[in-house]
Parts: sequence; C-alpha cells; structure tokens
Amino acid sequence: MTARHVVIIGNGPAANEAAISLRTQAPDARITIISKEPIRYYKPHLLPDLIAGKVSEQDLYVNPLEFYKENDIRLRLGQEVVHVSFATNEVVMEHKEVVRFDGLIIATGGKPRIPEPLQVFEDLMLSLKTLSDAKVWKERLRWVDSVLIVGGDLTSLSFTKAVLSLGKKVYFILHGDSFWPVRFNEELSSEVSQRLSDRGVEVISCRKILRLVMASEDSVEVETDGRKLRVGAIGAFFGLVPDVKFLARSGLAIERGIVVDEFLRTRFEGVYAAGDCAQVYHPKLRDYWVSIGYRNARNLGRVAALNLLGGQESAETAPAGIFQLDDISVNTSWWTEF
Amino acid sequence: MSNNIHHEGSGDLTEPAKNIIYSTDPADFHYVSVNVPCQSACPAQTNVPAYIRALYEGWYGDSYDLNRIVNLMPGVLGRICSRPCEQKCRHGEHELGRAVNICHVKRAASDHKDVNHVLLEPLFPPLGKKVCVVGSGPAGLAAAHDLSATGAHVTLLEALDEPGGMLRYGIPEFRLPRDILTTEIESILRLGITLKTGVRVGADVSVEQLLSDYDAVLIAAGCYTSKQLEIPGEHLPGVLSGLDFVMQIASGHSPEVGERVLVLGAGFTAFDCARSALRLGAEDVSICIRATEHDLRVTEDEIYETKREGIRIKGLIAANRVVGQMTVEGVEFSRTEPREVLSSGRRRIIPIPGSEFIEPADTVIVAIGQGAEPIPSPGKKNERGVLEGDPKTFRTSVPRLYATGDFNTGPTTVIESLAAGRKAAERIAEDLTGKKFREWSIRIQDAKITDRQRSWDFIPRQEMPSVPIENRLNPCPTVEIEIGYPKGQALEESKRCYLCYLHYEIDISKCIYCRLCIDSAPRDCIKLVSEVIVGRDGAIQELVETSDWRNVSAVVIDNSRCIRCGECVRVCPVDCISVSKVELVERALQGGGES
Ligand SMILES: Cc1cc2nc3c(=O)[nH]c(=O)nc-3n(C[C@H](O)[C@H](O)[C@H](O)COP(=O)(O)OP(=O)(O)OC[C@H]3O[C@@H](n4cnc5c(N)ncnc54)[C@H](O)[C@@H]3O)c2cc1C
Ligand SMILES: Cc1cc2nc3c(=O)[nH]c(=O)nc-3n(C[C@H](O)[C@H](O)[C@H](O)COP(=O)(O)OP(=O)(O)OC[C@H]3O[C@@H](n4cnc5c(N)ncnc54)[C@H](O)[C@@H]3O)c2cc1C
Ligand code: SF4
Repeated sequence: MTARHVVIIGNGPAANEAAISLRTQAPDARITIISKEPIRYYKPHLLPDLIAGKVSEQDLYVNPLEFYKENDIRLRLGQEVVHVSFATNEVVMEHKEVVRFDGLIIATGGKPRIPEPLQVFEDLMLSLKTLSDAKVWKERLRWVDSVLIVGGDLTSLSFTKAVLSLGKKVYFILHGDSFWPVRFNEELSSEVSQRLSDRGVEVISCRKILRLVMASEDSVEVETDGRKLRVGAIGAFFGLVPDVKFLARSGLAIERGIVVDEFLRTRFEGVYAAGDCAQVYHPKLRDYWVSIGYRNARNLGRVAALNLLGGQESAETAPAGIFQLDDISVNTSWWTEF
Repeated sequence: MSNNIHHEGSGDLTEPAKNIIYSTDPADFHYVSVNVPCQSACPAQTNVPAYIRALYEGWYGDSYDLNRIVNLMPGVLGRICSRPCEQKCRHGEHELGRAVNICHVKRAASDHKDVNHVLLEPLFPPLGKKVCVVGSGPAGLAAAHDLSATGAHVTLLEALDEPGGMLRYGIPEFRLPRDILTTEIESILRLGITLKTGVRVGADVSVEQLLSDYDAVLIAAGCYTSKQLEIPGEHLPGVLSGLDFVMQIASGHSPEVGERVLVLGAGFTAFDCARSALRLGAEDVSICIRATEHDLRVTEDEIYETKREGIRIKGLIAANRVVGQMTVEGVEFSRTEPREVLSSGRRRIIPIPGSEFIEPADTVIVAIGQGAEPIPSPGKKNERGVLEGDPKTFRTSVPRLYATGDFNTGPTTVIESLAAGRKAAERIAEDLTGKKFREWSIRIQDAKITDRQRSWDFIPRQEMPSVPIENRLNPCPTVEIEIGYPKGQALEESKRCYLCYLHYEIDISKCIYCRLCIDSAPRDCIKLVSEVIVGRDGAIQELVETSDWRNVSAVVIDNSRCIRCGECVRVCPVDCISVSKVELVERALQGGGES
C-alpha cells in the first residue's frame, strides 16, 4: 500500500516503533500519533525508580520533541480516541473531532486489571500504569508509612522494592492466579513469598478480601477472612488487560485484546494492532496470546508497520524474556492466560 | 383527551396540558424512531423518557403505570429485561459517556410505588367472543391480558403446574424473586381470565377440539426442545441439557453437579446454568463460548455479576467432542477465528484446524439453544413439524388458529415475546370483530425546557447495589442478588436521562443568525445548512451543512445529535427556539375504531 495517512493510536513502544519503521520505509507517508496521555513517550518500567527517587522525570522520556519534527511525525497528545468507524475510515476523538485515515495501527497498550470481585473497592486502591499514577503514588507515599499490595504481578515486585527503599512498611497479599504475565504456581508462589519476607515484607495469607473501608484521609481499613489491619494505601497489582473497550462496538473482533492473525492484521484492510493491546493467533503455538513487555511491544509495532506497507512478516513466537529482575528468574516470553 | 389512556405521556404532571395534537403522519413516526432511540428500540415501545421523568418528579406510581400500560410486568422486566433500549440510549453515544440505566429505573418505580398503588386499565365492554390461549409465558399472558381487556372471554391453558413459562421455570430465583412474578401475573389474571394449569394441549386436549370450542385459538407454547451439539460423547453420563437443568432446579429437584463444570453456550440459559451450578456446590465453573464476550447477548450487568461470582468466560473456543470412558472426563475444543458480524447479529466463527486441546470436566451442561416443540394440530408446519404462523399477522394456514411468542419465532427475550403476544391479541380481536381497539399515534404537545442542568450529564451511571459475594451462596442460594436502587440513587440515575422526547426547533422567520446558540452548543447539534433533504414520508433525511455564509439557508437543530440541554433556548436573544414534547403513545379507541 502507498500509505497516505497512517494514524497510530497510542504513544508507547509499539506505537513509536511503528511510526519510525513507517517513516523509514515510506518517506512520503503522513503519520499521526494520537495518545490520550498528555506527555511524550516514556519508559514505564522506570516508574518504580521514579517513585523511589532514583531517577527524575526527564530520565523517563525516550525521544525529544525535535525527533518527531525531524521525522515529520505529527504528535497529538492528550487526545483520547473514543470510537473508530471502519465504514468511513475515521477515528472519533473525545473532543468530537474526527480524523480520517488510510491506514491504522492500534497500539493502545493495556490498563490495570482489577478482578471482578474486587471492583467494588476500585476507588480505594491505587494502581501503577502511567506516569500520572506514579505521581499519585509519590504524593501519597509522602504522607503514609505503610502500604498493602494485593495481587502480585511482576510490576508489584519492583514497586515493592521502591516502597521499601523509602523506609515504608509493606504488607503483601499474594493473590491466587494473578501472577502476571506468567502463570502462578505453588513453587513460584512460595519462592516469591520467601523473597518478599527476606526483604522485610509481611506476607499475609488469606483467601479473600472481605471489606475495604476508608478509615481516615490517609488510612484504609482492610478486613480479610483471617485478620483486620489498617494501612496508609492499597496498591492493586493484577497485571494489565488490553485497553480496547472503546472498540467494542466498532465491528472489530475483540476478545481479551484485538484479535489479529500472525501478521497482526485485523478483519479490516489496512488496520493492524500491535503491542499489549493485540491478541495474536499464532499457528506455531496453536493458540492466542497477548504479549506483554517493552521489547515485545516494539517488535510488534515494527511488524505491524512493515505489513501495513505490504510486507508479510510474522510476529515472532519466541522473543527474549521481558522482565529483568535481579533476584527472580522467570521466563516471561509470552503469556496466554489471565 | 377523553378517549386517551389515562396516563399516557404524563411525565410532566405539573405542566398544564395544552395544544395536544395526535398525529398518525408517517413523518412523525419516523421522527420518533430516530430521535427517541430508547423507545424505538423497545419491542413494546415503552415510553422511557416519560417514565424516567415521572420518577424524577417523585411519581413512582405513574412511572410504573407508564410502563405497565405497554409492558404489563414492570417489576419483572425491571429485573430481567434484555434492555435493547440501553444499547441505543443517546447517553451511551461515543463521546457522551454511558447509557442511562433505564431498566434499573423501571425497577425503582416498581419497588418504591405506593403499596396500595391502584392499577387503572382501559376496559372495553364484553365482546361475546371466546378465545383460548395456549401457554402462560410472557407471550401468552400478554395476549390473554389484552384480549380480556378488549372484552373477550379468555381461557389460558398451561401444561405445567404454575403459570409464567420461562419466567418461572427458566430464570432462576436469584434473578427474579417469585413473589414479584406471582403478583404481576395475578394482576393480569384478575381481569377475568380463566387459567387452567396441568393441561397439555396436544395430549390432554386436541387443537381441533379447542378450535371447535372457541372462536379463536392462540398458541404461545414457547421453545422446549433443547438443541443438541451433535458431537461424539454427548450422551455420556455427566452431560446435562441446560434447559432441563434450570427447569429441574425451578421445580425443586436440583440435579447433582461435579466439581469442575463446563457450560457450553452463550445465552441467558448458559449464564443461568453456570451460576446455578455454583449454587449447587461446583467449585470451578466456566462458560465456553465460540465467539467473544463482546458478542454476548446477555446484559453487561449479568456478565459482571457472573464473573464476580468467580465464573470464567472462555472465549473463542468450539467443542469438538466430549471425552470420557464411563462418564464425562472433559471436552475437546478447537480455537476459533472470529469473522464478520452476520445480519442475524451473530458473529461468523471458523474453527482453526490444528488448534485442538482438551479441557477437563466432571459435568458438562449444554445450553446452546432451544426450538419449539411440535404440537399435533392441523395447518402448515415447518421442516421440524412445528405449526407455522405469519410473523406479522400471527395467522396460521388454519382460520382462527394463531401462533405467537417464542413458539412462532424461536427463542427471543421476555420483552420481545410479550410484545408479540400483545400484537397477536390485537390482530385476533380485529379479525373477530372487524374493529380496531388500540392505535399508536404521535402525541405532540407544547413544552418548556426542563430544570435539567448541564452538570447532570456528568453524573456517573449509578451501579446496582448487590448482595456481597460471600452471602450469595450461603445461607440462602436463592437470595436475590440485585438489591435495587434506594430512592436517592434512583433519583440520581433519573437525572441522567436527556429526555429525548423533547423536540427543539428554531423558528427561521425569527432567527437573526447571531449564532449564540451554536457557540453554546455542547456538541455539533446545531448546524448551518444550505439544504434540508426530505424523504418520501415527509421526514427530514439529511441536513446539508455549509460553512459558507452565502449559502446558509437555515440554522437547524439536528435533533438526532441534540442532548436536550436547553442551552440554546437560554441564550437565544430573540426567543426563536421552541420546545415541544413528542411521544409515541398507544391509545384505546373508544367503542372500537374502523379496522
Ligand atoms: C510500572 C510498569 C513497569 C514495567 N516494567 C517493565 C519491564 O521492566 N520490562 C518490560 O519489558 N516491560 C515492563 N512493563 C510493561 C511495558 O511497559 C509494556 O508492555 C509496554 O509499554 C507496552 O507497550 P505498548 O506500546 O503496547 O502500550 P503502552 O506502553 O501501554 O502504550 C499505550 C499508549 O496508548 C495510549 N492510549 C490508550 N488508549 C488510548 C485511546 N483510547 N486514545 C488515545 N490513546 C490511547 C496511551 O496513552 C499510551 O500512550 C512495565 C509496565 C509498567 C506499567
Ligand atoms: C434459563 C433462561 C433464562 C432466560 N433469561 C432471560 C432474561 O434474563 N431476559 C430475557 O429477556 N429473556 C430471558 N430468557 C428468554 C425468555 O424467558 C423467553 O424468551 C420468553 O419466556 C418466551 O416467552 P413465551 O411466552 O414465548 O414462551 P415461554 O415463556 O416458554 O412460555 C410458554 C408456556 O407454554 C407452556 N406450554 C408449552 N407447551 C404447551 C402445551 N402443549 N400445552 C400447554 N402449555 C404449553 C409452557 O409450559 C410455558 O408455560 C431466558 C430463557 C431461559 C430458558
Ligand atoms: S437519554 Fe433518556 S430519552 Fe434519551 S435515549 Fe437515553 S433513556 Fe432514552
């Protein structure tokens, strides 16, 4: 395809890699990145370090704004896409503007997952996905001296380290099948528990969280089937789920993520999905998977861009492990279950 | 107004009625179909904005009546309706937020109306005709009600021990308490309908006999033949039919389930089977669907509650065979590829060769749909031997024999079958007498802008309070899960409704083209147009917009985009924007109109 106007929804690694691959392969294409966050492309994996005060906000940013100018990539930041019409090839924004596209790459990533039984307490829990989430945590941690973490995904472990480094007390409720992006099994669970305890974290064993109540402005009361405690803040860390609900009525097939084939094609011509928001069927795995991870996202962004331009590249099935954690080695190549 | 149903369009009861016009112009019907999306989406054409407004004003009883005159069972529907209105609610348009919780407001009207609320019905004098209705599900009950109100003498025959059809024997008690159901059925029956239970037509009495005893016979016998998967292993012990499963529970003979339960199917029955299995002690329950969760037809609330109870929904898998030696051990599935959405509303699904895998299970419940059960009778049958009725006239090939509800269409929903029952009743009454008894028309009335405030558009959708998870299975697994809105929450939700029945119009002869209205508009609802294209029925089909002042021939409010905020009326310096209330209402034609 001689891509005229390619719109990329998202501004994470998948989106940026797609944009730059497009620019390299199709010098004449008009490229627009649309992102609901009002800030430049940053590295989410440094957010725990930002909370710990080890890096500054500037250290998070990947490209300077000049980079986009030089590469003639239009950035529309702070603008949320609320609908895509495939009949008219239009993206509808929250502020009512409509943008036409000839090619579309959806790279909207994931959003924090809260299991249904806990959704009633959603307002009382904080998560960590974006820079603005990190800022909320930073502010909260100035006032409180203890944090309860529920769930137990890989992000939660680096976050725990950050909170401990600030001298706060950490409680942890490891939640059954929440170990994301790998499957949680007995062995892993006890290994994680042990390491957390070694670091001074109090691991609470319970089956259910019965009640969360705001006890005061800076404390929340937690009641589990085993005990009651009061903490300064509660973090929900159950991994991410693809952020694609706004597409549910668009005609795209959405299951967990946007369903695409191994070439990242959706059902509509010229429309691709890449990164954490894509649910890819891969014949070699004989299954669907949703990828998680910075490098995977970049790789998928590149593949989507090349295929949009007429390529036939298949998404790799065995990329490198994604999380580098110094004390736990887990293979996080792909995950197929939530 | 003497020949109107008492409560029609009485949303704003404080407002004096003036300048009321009833129109049967197709252009006005077209207008309502586009501009009041919730009412047009309702198979029974419930006047949603009127009842939401009545509730907002504190008239719970009126709000209930505005429902009951067309849908007969607001307390039941306020709990289990499939809510096609909410799919179309303007508040749910892409940049406007989430649909109004229309159904929960209905339930609130029912919950909070006065305990002695008096039901008013337009009753016609006796007709001297006898009609037999077969089946007392929503379709049969609605038909019996309307025929009886029209003056016919109605006998309702029911095969099972109690009336209600799937409302009683399908939908579990934890979603629909039986006292609510019984009360609303009683309210229908007491018009003078003779109910005979335990009579299976075709076995205990023949259709031929009924045709000779009555002036007309209406079959509303629902769908009671479960579809089979037609895959190997389906008859192994441990494989249950979903419909039998829920019916046994409803009759007080709960079947046993194993620890791991797989439910195959994607409709109401599948969800009810899964949730019921959990209540019978299953530990690990999954609903296995061929398409995706977003393609499901059950309501969002039900999906949410089901997941909250710990049931998993496994998407994009199709069963190939049930595996096991003496009893069920598991199911072999293939992954599926979702394709386009077909005209039926279902998504086309292709199994992916080579993607097979086995999921272990102790019990498998098959809930993939039902079909009508053949009843011996004269008349033209379909390939399955089921009597055929015309989808519009409900007539069969045999004079005086009619068919309606799910029996006639295949499985639908309560509101669809109920609406079909009412339509069939109207047709029968007309065929028997040559007269029309009720008529739909568009009621147009001068109105004022309401006290709605722009800030109300940002009130979050009020979630339904429900029983905490840990109290659902014990001590009483039939406890109703949804608690209902307290009055305050119902009021908040009612404020969210834009009241789409209000119609805003600019009087071009007075307009000075100052454009203040356009500047104050919350979205692109007011347009500068060069041309208004009118369709054959006289309705506006298209507004041709222009940004060139020389071509502007009018400033027009696009009512399909308007969110009735009233800002334009407030800012107009020359008062050229008028408001009227435009409602689709059903009127009883006194004395019977000409057919
Ligand atoms: C705290 C944290 C730590 C992590 N640590 C690591 C790590 O150590 N190693 C690792 O490999 N991975 C890590 N990850 C995961 C990694 O960051 C993600 O897998 C990766 O960022 C996914 O890239 P993406 O481009 O698919 O989506 P994202 O990076 O999530 O970007 C999605 C973009 O889409 C935008 N968007 C979403 N919806 C809309 C919409 N409707 N309209 C407009 N824009 C929209 C968002 O604003 C965002 O810009 C971490 C993640 C987090 C949150
Ligand atoms: C488990 C389950 C859950 C559901 N949940 C919902 C829901 O939440 N929302 C929704 O909108 N819809 C739901 N539905 C669908 C809805 O219940 C039906 O669409 C609706 O009840 C159909 O109404 P009907 O009157 O046509 O038939 P039915 O309700 O089936 O009534 C038919 C009646 O005819 C009787 N009958 C049958 N044969 C004879 C005979 N030979 N002689 C005499 N009587 C006979 C039957 O006993 C029955 O009482 C559900 C269905 C099931 C099975
Ligand atoms: S806003 Fe109110 S009147 Fe308009 S569609 Fe929704 S429920 Fe109906």
